[in-house]
Amino acid sequence: MNIFQKIKQETIFFVARRLPTCKELAPWMSESLEHKLPLRRRVILRIHYLYCVWCLRYLKQLRLMRKAAHYHSSPDEDKPAAPETTLSPEARERLKRALSGKNE
Amino acid sequence: MSAAQMTGPESWVDRHGDALYRYALVRTRDASVAEEIVQETLLAALQSYSRFAAQSSERTWLIGILKHKLIDYYRRISRQSQFRDTDDEQFEHDELFQQEGEWVGHWNFDIAPNEWHITPETAIERAEFWQSFNNCLSELPARLATAFTLREMEQLDSEEICKILDVTTTNLWVMLHRARAHLRNCLQVNWFNLAQ
Repeated sequence: MNIFQKIKQETIFFVARRLPTCKELAPWMSESLEHKLPLRRRVILRIHYLYCVWCLRYLKQLRLMRKAAHYHSSPDEDKPAAPETTLSPEARERLKRALSGKNE
Repeated sequence: MSAAQMTGPESWVDRHGDALYRYALVRTRDASVAEEIVQETLLAALQSYSRFAAQSSERTWLIGILKHKLIDYYRRISRQSQFRDTDDEQFEHDELFQQEGEWVGHWNFDIAPNEWHITPETAIERAEFWQSFNNCLSELPARLATAFTLREMEQLDSEEICKILDVTTTNLWVMLHRARAHLRNCLQVNWFNLAQ
């Protein structure tokens, strides 16, 4: 390791030890999906992402889960392929009976 | 006349039953609960059918009623499950972070978030992905799973969710954090690590 790499690494360690830990930042990352965080927190997160690939992944994965959940829960009409789950024949009969019972 | 050509209550089960059922099943993750809510929806629709002015499609109208029934359901289960904040803490998965040493509080490198070699688009098409997703969500206490469902599936805003769950915004953010932390880790362990 040459002297410049060493200085760079020591600088990163110096900063990282003084900022909140990943464990402390995880709730902030979740909260950042809910509203715009105060400037101080946003700056801290930005700096943290510069040296922490895991937290950057964490954030990306929270976003992916959100996108997936939106898709998963959208009505059939908004999906390219309709899912295969259907009412069982028995459930279908029960529903029809309940409806016709009230509809007479 | 075939069911597909009919309109009106007699044909609802055939024409909309599956769509309503799937909509409810994704959110409740319980077949019998979903069926029950669909039945409540259809009966409520029958009562107000005279007011259905065909301004929207029948499907949209029924989904609208279903949404109300689901909100009632969320309220019910959040009231039933008792609030024990300390029980919820485990879902933050402390074990993922280093417990001691120079880098205490930072990720444990062996089990830290790894790269998910999948795009949302491909994950979305896999039935097994949703199986894992549902299983992971079901592992959470009802309150946390409901907070997640209301936010990410119903896509309600914080204010509405706080009213339904009767919590403060700060509480809600903690609950969402716990739900997401668990879901993310559970998906990594049970799906992404195995799918590669």
